Amino acid sequence: MKRTIKERSVMTSPTDLPAVGTTVVDPPGVTDPGSGPRGRPAWSAGVLRLDRYSGLYLAVILAVVFSVLLPDTFGTLSNARVIAASSAIAGILTLAVAVSMAAGTFDISLAANMTFSICLLGTLLTSADLPWVLAVILTLLAGASIGAVNALIITRLGVEPIVATLGMSSVLAALSFWVADGQTILLDGVSPTFTEAGQATIATVPITVFYLAAVALVLWFLLEHTPLGRYIYAIGSNPQAAKLAGIKVLRLQSLSLMMTGALAALAGVVLTMQLGASAFGAGAPYLLPAFAATFLGATQILPGRFNVRGTIIALYLLAIAVKGLQLQFPDLPWIKDLVEGTVLIVAVSITARAIRQRRTR
Amino acid sequence: MNPDQRAPRLDLRAVSKTFGGTRVLHDVSLDIAPGEVHALVGQNGSGKSTLIKILAGFHEADPGASALVDGRPRSLGDPDDIHDAGVRFVHQDLGLVPALSVVDNLALGHGYARGMGGRINWRRQTAAAEAALRAIGYEVDVRALVEDLQPVERTAVAIARALQSAQGEMSVLVLDEPTATMPKAEVQRLFEIINTVRQQGVGILYVSHHLEEVFELADRVTVLVDGHRVATKRCSELDQRGLVDLMTGGVVDEARQRSTTVPGEPLLALRGVRGAEIVELDLQVLAGEVVGVAGITGSGREELCSLIFGAKPREGRVTVRGRELPALRPHTACALGMALVPANRLRDGIVSGLNVRENANLTTVRRLARHVRIRPRDDRRQAASISTKMSVKAPSLESPIESLSGGNQQKVVLGKWLQTDPHVLLLDEPTQGVDIKAKAEIHHLIDDVASKGVAVLVCSSDEAELERLCDRVLVLRHGRVVSEFNGAEVQTRRLVHTSLGLTS
Repeated sequence: MKRTIKERSVMTSPTDLPAVGTTVVDPPGVTDPGSGPRGRPAWSAGVLRLDRYSGLYLAVILAVVFSVLLPDTFGTLSNARVIAASSAIAGILTLAVAVSMAAGTFDISLAANMTFSICLLGTLLTSADLPWVLAVILTLLAGASIGAVNALIITRLGVEPIVATLGMSSVLAALSFWVADGQTILLDGVSPTFTEAGQATIATVPITVFYLAAVALVLWFLLEHTPLGRYIYAIGSNPQAAKLAGIKVLRLQSLSLMMTGALAALAGVVLTMQLGASAFGAGAPYLLPAFAATFLGATQILPGRFNVRGTIIALYLLAIAVKGLQLQFPDLPWIKDLVEGTVLIVAVSITARAIRQRRTR
Repeated sequence: MNPDQRAPRLDLRAVSKTFGGTRVLHDVSLDIAPGEVHALVGQNGSGKSTLIKILAGFHEADPGASALVDGRPRSLGDPDDIHDAGVRFVHQDLGLVPALSVVDNLALGHGYARGMGGRINWRRQTAAAEAALRAIGYEVDVRALVEDLQPVERTAVAIARALQSAQGEMSVLVLDEPTATMPKAEVQRLFEIINTVRQQGVGILYVSHHLEEVFELADRVTVLVDGHRVATKRCSELDQRGLVDLMTGGVVDEARQRSTTVPGEPLLALRGVRGAEIVELDLQVLAGEVVGVAGITGSGREELCSLIFGAKPREGRVTVRGRELPALRPHTACALGMALVPANRLRDGIVSGLNVRENANLTTVRRLARHVRIRPRDDRRQAASISTKMSVKAPSLESPIESLSGGNQQKVVLGKWLQTDPHVLLLDEPTQGVDIKAKAEIHHLIDDVASKGVAVLVCSSDEAELERLCDRVLVLRHGRVVSEFNGAEVQTRRLVHTSLGLTS
């Protein structure tokens, strides 16, 4: 028999029951009065599924509005490329945030990790004069190792994630300075294929967009289509119950933190490729927008869950809004910070409320 | 003073409560006269704590309920209104701040005595604290930290605080299981305090499952069974046996159906197991056998399943099918074929962020994957088959797990584990907060599982459930096995008596 999950009656089928003596089972189609779908306002269930795709619609609307208002600056193909390319690096860092948040843990040191990776890569390429592919691999491994150290501090020493990674941020800032001597390193002598790998376009689309797409695809598959992803979400929702279901909670949280570290390093690598120089302290400005987009992403597609598709929608929604406002109000340099800060607070309050409602029910 | 001639301090009428489709209280009414100690008794899950929480404004009652305090109607579900009416609560956890002194704890929620410039006048504050404790006939070093006090001293502080915050207008004091963690000698001190309070004309609602305390202290007793009030009687008209009969009578819904099976080899063995409460425990469960564990709160019954499974640290040996299971390794326990349905469903059982399908398949999702990808069709099909087998009622497999009633959530948790084909099944309060019908269904499923050769261990505070399910029941008291009942000896009343330490 083919089952469709939308049928209300499939859940109770007396014929398949084990012999249960005198117990009366409701006939098919009868459900408890209290067990109907609750907590969803009626407007959200329409064809538009505003509860899931509101960000997507808003992004499209904003893009259209700004294109009409600013046809010469916003509504151009080159502007679209700029948004796509600059969001790609922010996007990789945002997914780095999302992957540890999904597992119910937290890494605030990832921007410092990105900065450190940039410095390390620059030094490996110039002072150590390594081939760039090897230098990139070593940098990614270093990023993952930083994630592993965070994981050890959090899971073994029992330090709160926010405190552990705040401390790690400071340590990494010191290490960055030590490695790069507090300087931006120009990569003049490095093979041109290195910068090519960050600046090329494929069918006029900047190559960095493909890096983001690849990362997003892998994480989406991992989180939504593998047992590992199911376990990570279980841990993120209720670590105690996950542990009692035989899931190795600490190990998977550590794995998530290592992925976060590696992705932060990757963001640094891609930025260095794009700039053709290892800019000192370049990671820090990415921190807040990454968290803002992650929390906003958790209100989309799979509300209440840190998910890849929602994060990507949130990323571009935020990028379009910021860019549009910057072009509309060129004399207001603070508009980016204002938008990102507001979005972070609002998105967190929405996500927190959704989670709280779930818990107290 | 004859309590019955004045308006009752508290008059609750027709209180009902429904949680997610399950009615846990049915038209319960209760009144307390001035100066009366009114005991509220019932087994776990009978609705005692729900009633208290409704009175405290923690939950809202179903429509139709009313409350009168000193003859004036008050709105149930509004904590402030009930507080204004002079109803005070000392909850089981007391609500004290352990790291602060007695003086500070008494000042919390009442305000400090202020001196010049708004600074705290410690001398006056200390004197006030001493006076508050003296008012209930108790003396404590008020400068001591609460965490350093004896249990009875802490309870005294909590009562003093409740009284003090209602100076002069106190009408009802609700004490929820005040003696749960108290040695016998201290209980007598507490009774003196309670008697001092009652002489001031306060009505006292006393919740306890220590029946001997009820007879020593209370004027009347109200008995709840499965959310129904089955009796309100004067204590002088009852004896302990009569009260136990009221608490347990008429709930054994059906006779045991499992034919006497021949148990097989031992699948679970404990030797010298020791935890926070359990002092020493040896135990064997054979294939096809259902072994029950009874015992009151604090007897060690509550922690046993967690100790075995590895959710809490333990000493001693646990072997599953002859293989040793180290402590604190839940995933190893799973790998050895052990399954645990935990007592605290919301905290340990369901994963509230995941939907019904994901919860049902959580333990077996690895089998649903080819290479690394979960096959969506198998995912849905298995979840549907589990929910059919368990007769789960849910709007859809994609509904949030928390939208299901308690009984249906519990069926999902049980189904999730049965799908792993366990050899050893640990059940901790398997039907707590589950309605009667779902309870019967779960009992049948457990029978079924055992008849397939699974070793089942049931820890339950519901003695009738143990009688219904078990081949053998161990009774724990103070962390040790004090009695073992086999076959026909497993009777609710004997279990209750032995758990409470009464001679039956």
